[in-house]
Amino acid sequence: MNIKQLIAGTAVGCVLGLAVAGAAQAQTLRYAAAAPVLTMDPHATNDFVSQMVISQIYDPLVAVNADLELVSGLAESWEHLGGLKWRFTLRQGVKFHGGQDFSAEDVAFSIERAKTSRFFTAFVGKISSVDIIDSHTVEITTDDPDPLLPRKMSNAFIMSKSWAEENGADEVPDLGAEGSEVFSVRNANGTGLYMLQEREPSVRTVLARNPNYWGEATGNVQEAIYTPIGSGPTRVAALLSGEIDLVADLPLQDIPRVDGADGLMVQQRPQLINIQLELDGSRDVALDVWDKDGNVLTVNPLKDVRVRKAFAQAINVDLIVDRVMRGNAAVAGSAAVPGTGGYYADLDDHWAYDVEAAKGLLAEAGYPDGFQVQLNCPLERYVNAEDICKAVAPMLAQIGVDVRVKGMVWPEFAKLLVNGPDSSFHLIGAGPNGQDTQDTFVDTMMTRVPDIKQGFFNWALWSNDEFDEIATEIQQTFDEARREELYRRGLTLGRENVHAIYLHRQVITWGLRDNITATIRPDATVPLETVVIQ
Amino acid sequence: MTAFITRRTLQASGVLVVVSFIGFLLFTFTGDPVASILGLDATPADRDALRGRLGLDDPFILRYLTYALNAAQGEFGISYATARPVEEVIVERLPATIELAAVAVLFSLAIGIPLGVYTALNRDRWLARFVMTVSIVGVSLPTFVVGILLIFLFAVGLGWLPSFGRGEVVKLGWWSTGLLTVSGLKALIMPALSLAIAQSALVARLVRAEMIEVLRADFIKFARARGLRNRAVHFHHALRNTMIPIVTVTGIQLGFLFAFSIVAEAVFQWPGMGLLFLQSLGKTDVPVMSAFLILVAFFFVIINLAVDLLYMVIDPRLRIRHEIAEGVAGS
Repeated sequence: MNIKQLIAGTAVGCVLGLAVAGAAQAQTLRYAAAAPVLTMDPHATNDFVSQMVISQIYDPLVAVNADLELVSGLAESWEHLGGLKWRFTLRQGVKFHGGQDFSAEDVAFSIERAKTSRFFTAFVGKISSVDIIDSHTVEITTDDPDPLLPRKMSNAFIMSKSWAEENGADEVPDLGAEGSEVFSVRNANGTGLYMLQEREPSVRTVLARNPNYWGEATGNVQEAIYTPIGSGPTRVAALLSGEIDLVADLPLQDIPRVDGADGLMVQQRPQLINIQLELDGSRDVALDVWDKDGNVLTVNPLKDVRVRKAFAQAINVDLIVDRVMRGNAAVAGSAAVPGTGGYYADLDDHWAYDVEAAKGLLAEAGYPDGFQVQLNCPLERYVNAEDICKAVAPMLAQIGVDVRVKGMVWPEFAKLLVNGPDSSFHLIGAGPNGQDTQDTFVDTMMTRVPDIKQGFFNWALWSNDEFDEIATEIQQTFDEARREELYRRGLTLGRENVHAIYLHRQVITWGLRDNITATIRPDATVPLETVVIQ
Repeated sequence: MTAFITRRTLQASGVLVVVSFIGFLLFTFTGDPVASILGLDATPADRDALRGRLGLDDPFILRYLTYALNAAQGEFGISYATARPVEEVIVERLPATIELAAVAVLFSLAIGIPLGVYTALNRDRWLARFVMTVSIVGVSLPTFVVGILLIFLFAVGLGWLPSFGRGEVVKLGWWSTGLLTVSGLKALIMPALSLAIAQSALVARLVRAEMIEVLRADFIKFARARGLRNRAVHFHHALRNTMIPIVTVTGIQLGFLFAFSIVAEAVFQWPGMGLLFLQSLGKTDVPVMSAFLILVAFFFVIINLAVDLLYMVIDPRLRIRHEIAEGVAGS
């Protein structure tokens, strides 16, 4: 075969193809990220990319805008009726893509459906009943008073009851289930701005604008095509060659190349997640800690506040952000992250870098010569996680603490945590489940009692009685002024006692064509409704 | 002959049983599937419930037997990541990989054979030496490097070929083919080429060595003595006789390309089995990973069986030797 002829021949075809495609592409957004969309069922996964695409098709009762503020979704308004009850007044005249009328029945059905899914217990698990008052009013009752219910409802997508029942999709597809695939895995019928037009699992998902959309949208995208491209260099090449308009997770090393390319630009925004080092806060004997000679220590040096402070002050976080993260991260100093409820910038100061002070603290705590400790480190999932751990080791060596970095693939790391937790020192990302610091308080900072889901992500078993009281009170407090007091007190306690060493917040990095105006949502979603293509 | 086939088939099924067992062991040793399915956000009660539902608490042997029986009927369970039957997911991906592997083999033969013939006939020319040197580079370049170089040359630099995906596909029943559309063919060129480069270097070296050997044979001398033209001697007599080992190697290559197209598929986001395997790895989607392993083993076994049989057909000496051996054993 003559390769030259072949290439030349296809080149002609390619030019023709481009000309045709160019005309039809007026307002088509072709976007890409590494991971594929797993399913179209809105209640079957909490996988991030899947939820990102699903949220364009299905609407929740309460929506969030590009800054994650609550705005009305399928509910026009909502009010707290006191105690355990909230009332949601639904929008009238809304239709599903399939033509079904939207009503209170669908809301009750969808919340019940989401409740059966193991991925949504954080949002709908504590709802005891959804009462239909009339066709466009529902009252939701919770097990405990819940000031954050509207925020939580922004994660519960509404599906058409009659559609689900007609197609045998009234139950969330489950793993152990016998038989064939559930209809809702590959088909979708929401009320959102986009309708599912075509789906080739793991290849592409095509969304078309819904002409009968109930709301208004500033964006002008008529068609959106999501393509997963797993390999970083290929993703960037596709952007450079014009096959993709927006890459939602640009690899750090490609930022200068994309920034310097004609017609492309880079956009960044901090993510709602703290990358932090967690230290064992309550075990009597820490795991994987040795003295300098390698003998196992039978105490827990890590729960001593002086040791924790020494660690915090010995780590030069500016250097990590500058070198390891190549400047693509923001230094963190509080458990609350910017952009979420309960964040206060004045409390967000990182501990001062001071090796001498750190040495003094360590000596005061009875470890003038330091000790050895194992740092459990997930190899993927967070940007440059392994390099961060490797940078921390020499920094702590300066104060005499020898760190043995143990890198693990994510499943292994996750197993270490959920089956134990069996780690006394690890790197992990932590953020509020429902975009409010209260979740951080309850899920990652309170004393761990897994059976009632308290402190469930408190993998290092930090425990502070005063903090627990604050976190208990805030869950039932509706008064804004009092809430602020509690947030502030809780964050201060966390920082003073070094609940964890907050390192930095990685940024979301997009590479996109410069004729596109779009806002990065801090939860890393691409909000199509705001995307404008000139 | 029949005894030979029966024996080989038995051996092949033995291999499959062993591989299915290893595939099944994945369920036990690749980290806790429950932890990776449920993520960090699950209570011990949730996890126990799921363990029960997936039957992870049954005795090991019972679980294996159930698995093997289902696998023999082509059922591999439900994918953890997508909640779809594994066999459906695989059938969806199979055509892409088979087309890629087949085209890559064609490419490697189309490039390798002419180069091999040329270098064998013109051993002392500088161009032939140059080709041989380059072929070493070709063998040693990893597929992903070749792939990325191709992408930056033909997709980013020249803009001729798409950097990812399969282009438009046409459905023929359950088979989806990219061979019938322009965009599908264009998308196929770079992935197939990046797989074919190392292989074609191998083919070229093999053809060269065989050809040199054959050119020394008596029948070539006689052919020349008959006054046949060089062209006829080289292509009609010599090349033909080098084809036997080439056919064998090509068969095995096809199996390798099928199994190891993982890298090319990852680089080009080619929606085939290899990419599926990688995606499953990331999600600890064990049912898919196990099924992939078993399928690859199946493919290898079938190809080897076919090659063995082909060998017997092509080379009568082998056949006779077997018959003698069986005759002795039988008496």
